[in-house]
Amino acid sequence: MKPAPFDYARPTNVAEACQILAEAGGGATVIAGGQTLMPLLNLRMSQPFILVDINGIADLKGVSRIDGGTRVGPATRQAEALRDSTLAQHLPALVTALGHVGHYQTRNRGTVGGSVSLGEPAAEMPAAAVALGASIEITSAQGTRMVKAEDFYIGPYMTVLEPEDLVTGIVYPDWPDGHVVLFREVAQRTGDFALVGMVGALVLEGGKVARAGIAWFGMGPTPIKARQAEAALIGKALAEIDPDAVAALAVADTAPFDDHHASAEYRRTVGKRIFARTLREALDLRSAA
Amino acid sequence: MNYHASSVGATRYVGERTPRKEDGRLLTGRGQFTDDIQLPGMLHIAFVRSPVARGRIVSIDMGVAREMPGVQAIYTQADLAAIPVQMLSFFFTPIESPVTLLADGRVACVGDPVCMVIAESRAQAEDAAALIELEIDEETPLVTIADAKTGALVHPDKDDNIAAEMGDEDMLEEAIQPLLDKAPHVVTHTIRHQRIAQSPMECRACVASPEGSGEMTVWMGCQSPHLAARYVAHALGMPQESIRVIAKDVGGGFGLKNIPWREEVAVVVAARLFGRPLKWIEDRFEALTASSHAREQEVTLTIGLDDEGKLLAGWSDYACNNGAWPMGEDANIAVHMFMWPAYKLPAYGFVTRGWYTNTMGLGGYRGPWAMESLIRETTLDKAARKMGVDPVELRRKNLIYLPDQPVTSNMGIEVTDITPGECLEKLVANVDIAAFRREQAEARKEGRYLGMGIATYIEPTGSAGAMQPMTGETVQLRIEPTGKIVAMLSTHSQGHGTATTMAQVIADRLGVAYEDISIFEGDSAIGAFSPGAAGSRQGVIAGGATWKATEMLAEKVKAVAAHLSNASVDAVTIDGGMVHVEGAPEMSRSLKELAEIAYGEPARLPEGMASGLEAQFRYQPPPMTMTSAAHCCVVEVDAETGFVKILRWVSAEDCGTVINPGVVEGQIAGGLAQAIGQVLLEDMPYDARGNPLAATFKDYLMPTISDVPDFEYLHANTPSQTIGGMRGVGEGGAIIGPPTLVNAIADALAPFGELGGEAGEVTLPLTPSRILDVIEQRNVSGHQAPAEKAVAAPVAEEVPAETVAVSPETEPAPATASIDGDWDMTLKAPMGGQTFLAHFDTEGTSLSGYLSAPEGRQEFSGGTFEDGRMKFEVKVDKPMKVTLKYDLQATADSITGKCKMGMFGTAKVNAVRA
Repeated sequence: MKPAPFDYARPTNVAEACQILAEAGGGATVIAGGQTLMPLLNLRMSQPFILVDINGIADLKGVSRIDGGTRVGPATRQAEALRDSTLAQHLPALVTALGHVGHYQTRNRGTVGGSVSLGEPAAEMPAAAVALGASIEITSAQGTRMVKAEDFYIGPYMTVLEPEDLVTGIVYPDWPDGHVVLFREVAQRTGDFALVGMVGALVLEGGKVARAGIAWFGMGPTPIKARQAEAALIGKALAEIDPDAVAALAVADTAPFDDHHASAEYRRTVGKRIFARTLREALDLRSAA
Repeated sequence: MNYHASSVGATRYVGERTPRKEDGRLLTGRGQFTDDIQLPGMLHIAFVRSPVARGRIVSIDMGVAREMPGVQAIYTQADLAAIPVQMLSFFFTPIESPVTLLADGRVACVGDPVCMVIAESRAQAEDAAALIELEIDEETPLVTIADAKTGALVHPDKDDNIAAEMGDEDMLEEAIQPLLDKAPHVVTHTIRHQRIAQSPMECRACVASPEGSGEMTVWMGCQSPHLAARYVAHALGMPQESIRVIAKDVGGGFGLKNIPWREEVAVVVAARLFGRPLKWIEDRFEALTASSHAREQEVTLTIGLDDEGKLLAGWSDYACNNGAWPMGEDANIAVHMFMWPAYKLPAYGFVTRGWYTNTMGLGGYRGPWAMESLIRETTLDKAARKMGVDPVELRRKNLIYLPDQPVTSNMGIEVTDITPGECLEKLVANVDIAAFRREQAEARKEGRYLGMGIATYIEPTGSAGAMQPMTGETVQLRIEPTGKIVAMLSTHSQGHGTATTMAQVIADRLGVAYEDISIFEGDSAIGAFSPGAAGSRQGVIAGGATWKATEMLAEKVKAVAAHLSNASVDAVTIDGGMVHVEGAPEMSRSLKELAEIAYGEPARLPEGMASGLEAQFRYQPPPMTMTSAAHCCVVEVDAETGFVKILRWVSAEDCGTVINPGVVEGQIAGGLAQAIGQVLLEDMPYDARGNPLAATFKDYLMPTISDVPDFEYLHANTPSQTIGGMRGVGEGGAIIGPPTLVNAIADALAPFGELGGEAGEVTLPLTPSRILDVIEQRNVSGHQAPAEKAVAAPVAEEVPAETVAVSPETEPAPATASIDGDWDMTLKAPMGGQTFLAHFDTEGTSLSGYLSAPEGRQEFSGGTFEDGRMKFEVKVDKPMKVTLKYDLQATADSITGKCKMGMFGTAKVNAVRA
């Protein structure tokens, strides 16, 4: 289990990294925390000619406030993001989801951007980006562009990223203080990718749902935005919400699959239940408050 | 100062939670594993393995690979064949499948090794391996047991895909079905046990270093360096003294490392051919997909009970997937031997088969016969639910308690001191079952589903003397002139802590400090032959050997001290490394002073006494020592998600004398963790094309620390009949764990329905999807039970179907030809085929003669010979006392038929003129 031979570059700025990626003509792979890539290299399932290590690029690390949102550097370690006070204040749903990414040990090395850009359909970070309305900042030698997270994922481990692209930021819009966090996942063991999971946020104004962002993971080839459920929730007073009916609408947007850990029917059945249970618990809490 | 009349010191070590001698080096990263070995000039090996499950090798293009940097050689089977090798099973019988070290013209499973690349680094070897082009003419593989029954031959030179079979199909109709017909309650239960990847923490590993004229030092992850050396010598036809096997630390064996297998032997052969030290370290991908797998069994058990719940009769049909190249063809006779000796069951019959398929081969795995407990205990609970009786009461009615013994089981197993009933009583005295039932009823009202499972079992441990290579154990012990104690043992630890427990025995029996004892093991050049860790044996046999050798040494110490002090031996005690003489404190001497005299001043010793302070003992224990246990597990099943949470687990085991409770509990906990993995998580599925689907630990779900609860332990301590009174405890957790947990889950799900549905077919692992199948009474998991019934179950309207691959021998015309003279006879027996010379003499219709094999000759007489049909009986003592009943049909030049072998079932017999 040794990787195929590769060259190694450790650029110190984004421009240099993009230059290397452009020159590699598709033969380069970016490495940040390596928690997924190293096993893939060792199994020779990934055989890049050159590995571009972005750990030396200071600009890609850390959390910062920008106008109307929060920018997370892709090379920020999951463990750092998990204890970041800005994220705790503005993006509690993201922090909750981060606590379920891998294990304590892997989060010390794994990065937010690595998880976002890998596009594992059963992972928490891509779904959180979709649910919270994040945009992915992508830079190449040609320039920088922003892609909405819901347009970023096109299939299992497939994104709109081109070989010469580098993710240079994940920008999450602000969710007002006091918004409702939704999160639940069902995984066979602590730290596993989910059999089924959901993450999201609701904003309540005047006793009504003013804004909703919810996404599934493990329920299809990509993270899946629960559009019908979001639409059904917006404008509704808490007392009018039927969690089971909303959950049924949420499941209607999914396309789960069978594997040897769980059937598609299991994912639909249990997905609907955890969605309804999570919504009910969150709303009960707000009604009581 | 303390004086003790007892022969042992004041400080007891046996029974104490003494810190392990091994832990310091292991916890600080100073263990010596095979991969730690670095030798001058050592090269590295990577295997090229078949990516397809079945096919003919058309070509192997090594042209580009040979030119790669660092590549020294690339071998195929054609190269390795320069040294003939006969692969052997753990029982030292030849493997029956035509297994070679590397694929010989065809591949029979994904992962079949085809080439070995030898290079200066492992990375270079892998780079070259990736460039070897295999062209394989792919054929449709046989993947499942059902495939094996109807598909083409896995091994073209075999008659059928049955790797091994035993049992007596006729017995169902003749003896069992009539009893079941009369039984007021008949319960049938099926379990499909998934395939397991053994997954020791340290994968397989081998370094072979050729030295001098044909000598070889081999470092190998194994379960006994002695056995590995003997195996390699035997397989290669080398003298054993020319091979030294060293295995200082090994990270788990579980049966996978019982014997060297294809890759390890290939490394040894390649090292001989190439003449330089070679290293192969199995990686995790290879370990999961290309190390011998385990389990994959299907069994159906039917039991009949009377209205009081007493067992009347039982029948089971068992099949297991042997894969293409099993580490020994196996029909798992032990499942049937050990299913009922702890229970009062008057009549039991079975058929049992192992099937070849195009999957990775089968190996032994901690409690290889564990299915006996799983199917029996889950069927008993199902019967209890069906009859509305308490599962504990049902067991009390049928279990054999101490006053019932000695008793011989329906399969000929004599039990004299088993305590499953006593363990059960100890368990229920410590678990408030009535309170649990109240809690369970209350919880159900709230939509929470709690369940309690109880299981009892016995386990054969410390097996010795009945079959190769299960032997006694040797201990060599000496007090050095320094006063320190050195012991050389035939034991081996892959985490067992034998250096700790054996040092405790020595400290206890000699009266010295534990810290003053050094244990040497893990090297075939040290100590004497034993199979090491295999069959829960070391505590029993090496423990007894150490116990006795230490007492022999203590006697010598006392004799020397008594002589020097002019005192009686009875007045001498040893304590804390000091030798005291009662009533003469001024005569106290340290062991060091005594040892200096014993080694350096032999004239001061009693006349005729050998100098030095040494003892050696080889212990041959009773053939088998039984361990018993009863376990209880409490679970909660989440009815919304189908998740199982283990809330409590109590173990009540009887392993006799407990040398170290920490070591005993560690063994039980490790086995239970594996049990939890098997019931809930682990699975190595294959797709229809024969691809293993769990190639990494992302997909092969090992239980983690958060999946395993804190276990509670109760120790019953009924000393066994061995020296020291120990009973084996290595495998028990993995045997009794699965039924305990499955029973708890079935109990929790009882409000919804039977686990396994109406058909009563339980498939492991019990994934959340499969649990929801029961809760929702619909097919959530998408798991389709096989359309055709895979096994013949005794039901009134159904006659058990003869499986396709077993065609009855065509009835030859009555022969009038003489059968007198010599025949070469082959018996397809449990531990492999046996061939021997048969000599027959007829006189009218009476038949006599003898069967002759290198091990000995058995005469018989009193047989009959009528119209070509030969019937005769031969009594044998080894491996067990059994009467072989032959029923054969003869023609002039061939004899075919059956041999009933008592508990070993029935073997096929063939003979041709010698």
